[in-house]
Formats: sequence, structure tokens, C-alpha cells
Amino acid sequence: MNAAPAIAAPEPVLAIERSGEAAGERRRYELEDTGFNEVPKRFRRFYRRWGGPGEVLAPNEVLCPVCKVVIRSTRELRPGDHVFCLPCMSKLVVVRAADGSLAATSPH
Amino acid sequence: MNDFLGAYSIQHWLESCPQGYLEDTQFGHRGGENEPSFLIDNEVLREDAIRTTVQLVVGERCALSASSGLINAAPDEASRRFLATQTLDEARHVEVFTQRLYDLGVRKADLETTVERYANPNLVKFAEILLEKVDRKDFFCGVVGQNIVLEGMAFSVFEMMHAMNGAQNPKFAHTLSGTIADERRHVGFGENRIGSLLREHPEKKSEIERMQRDMSWFMLATFAEAFRENRTDAELDRIGFERSHATFHGADLAELSLEEMEGLLANTVLGEFKTRLSRIGLEYQSPPRP
Repeated sequence: MNAAPAIAAPEPVLAIERSGEAAGERRRYELEDTGFNEVPKRFRRFYRRWGGPGEVLAPNEVLCPVCKVVIRSTRELRPGDHVFCLPCMSKLVVVRAADGSLAATSPH
Repeated sequence: MNDFLGAYSIQHWLESCPQGYLEDTQFGHRGGENEPSFLIDNEVLREDAIRTTVQLVVGERCALSASSGLINAAPDEASRRFLATQTLDEARHVEVFTQRLYDLGVRKADLETTVERYANPNLVKFAEILLEKVDRKDFFCGVVGQNIVLEGMAFSVFEMMHAMNGAQNPKFAHTLSGTIADERRHVGFGENRIGSLLREHPEKKSEIERMQRDMSWFMLATFAEAFRENRTDAELDRIGFERSHATFHGADLAELSLEEMEGLLANTVLGEFKTRLSRIGLEYQSPPRP
């Protein structure tokens, strides 16, 4: 069992219940370690390296616009969800991009 | 103070870096990895590699001076601690790129003369603009210049170099991947901390924008000269060494001319500047093209 978190960083998905999009059951995802080793071990499965422009992300994933790491959730993401990028410490909001995909944007 | 700063702890840094991606590395790469023989044994390629690495040393020496100099200018304890971890990151970068110079055959006694000989004067000017702000303890300009302009540039340059070296030089690619991981924290701090501070001090915007314009001019001049001086592509063609088909921002780097590569890198960095600056409420100022 993992030791209690020693840092104040929150889980990647801060407030999934804030979603403003249509209600309904969200798909759940099992997250496996993808070899991303830039955050403490207990948080690693929530992130992965980005494959570059053109890569299609899964419904539980969104790209951090600040540091270009893919943030992964155990549940399907929807516009309005608040997520946290631990590699660069950015708080982000999920939005629907013009092409219909999900994107993350800074709330500043 | 923003609560995001609470997560910028030494403990987090320890668990992410030394116990994360730097675990079991030696000077940033895996033990036993060496510079490839095709590079070491060819005088043109070796000199080009030294010239390129000198620019990295110059940039990282500037980042080390800037991050350490900003510690006592920071307005809060958490920012000071973050800058302390960044100072160690930058010192490590100086060390690993200096070690690469030694691995490429530069003698320790010749280090400073080698840096002096190959340092791009435009990159030196770029650094001087930033360090002048740091010397004046200007936290706003210092952090934007360091963590958004300098680190934003380094982020894209390192990513391009990482793509180019992935297949041909895994040792250097591994060194670069560790520095890219460090840059993620640095640009994140720049955007998140300055974004919130600028809302409280909008009067600082015009001075920061002027600094960004001046630094951008010298950055573009550095790129132009670096690609003009590059002899690697022609030498690889001459010896019949196939270039690696690495992808960077959708382009196959093996298919691009040096001029096209320079354009791709400059446009990528400037595009990133614009979006990063707009996220913190600043307007990108275009410098004249050198």
C-alpha cells in the first residue's frame, strides 16, 4: 500500500462534478503505467507523454497546453471539468474545441 | 498566494527528479552510453557538435545566473523554494552539457576558450538583456524573461534536437529528455506565478513586452546564424550517412533544407511565445526579422 501523500498536489481531476455538459453515466477507465516518470510514483498513471500534433486522444484524456503532457482521468472527461497537470502545476478547465475534440485551457 | 505554489515543494522535486527520471542516470544519460563513433571520428561533425553544445552551455549558464539571482527578489517563500530547485536544475544542465563537451574531446583546460570561441554573440546579447533585469531584482521581468522566453525557447529547441538525435545519438537524446522534463516545471511556474501577479500589477506589462521583443530579436538572430553555420547536413550527405526521419511538429526533418528547419523552429518558438504570453495577459511584440 502506498504511503500517505507527502505533498499537497491534488489528483489530476479536481472537480469532475462541475461538468456543464449533458448528464449521463461516464465511462470508467483502468489506468496503467505508461512509463511516464516525471512525477512521484503514485501519480504516474495519470499522465503520459504526448505523441505530437495529429495524435487522437481518448475520451478520458486531454493535453496540457502549458507543458504538452497528456493528462488522463479514470473517468470520461467533459467540458467544464477541472483538471490539474502535476508535471507543470497548472490548473486547467476542459473545453470543447472547434473541431469537436476536448481541450484543456487555463482559467486565467 | 496561489495554492498551486504549495505543491512546489522540495519533496515533490525529490520524488519527481532524482527519484524519477534522473534515477540511475550519469550526467543525464544511461550508464555506458557514449557519443557515436561516426560523430567523434569525423572532424566536421565533431566541431559542429561542439559548437551546438556550447550554445546550450551558454544558455544554461544564463539560466543558472537568472534563477539563482531571482531567489531573493521573489515575493513569497514558496516561489523562493521553487527557484532554489530550478537553480539546481539549471546547474545540472550546465554540468551535463559541459560534460558533453568533454565527451566530444574538449580538454578541461580549454573549456572557457572553447566557449568563448563558439558562443553565438546574439545568444550572449539575449542573455545580457535578461541578466540586466535580474541584477535590478525585477521579479516580473526576470521570471517572464527566464521562465517563459528563455525556457520557452529551450523547450522547443530541445524537443527538435531530441527528435533529430533519437535514433542517431541515444546518449545525447537521453540527456535532452531529462532537461525537457525540467523545463515543464519551469514554464509552468512562469505562467502560473506571473499570470496571477500580473493581474495585481498591470503597470508592468509594457516593460515586460519590450523586453520580450528585444529578446526575441536576438533569439531569431541566433537561430539564423546557427543554421547558416551548420555543416552537419552537407557532411552527412558527403559521407553517405542517411539522416533520420524524425518528426517535429508534423514535418519530416530529413526532408527539410536548413533554411526550412530554421523557419520551422522559429515559427514554433514564436507561436508558443504568443500563446504562452496571451495566457498570462501579455501581447506578443514582433521584433523585426534579423
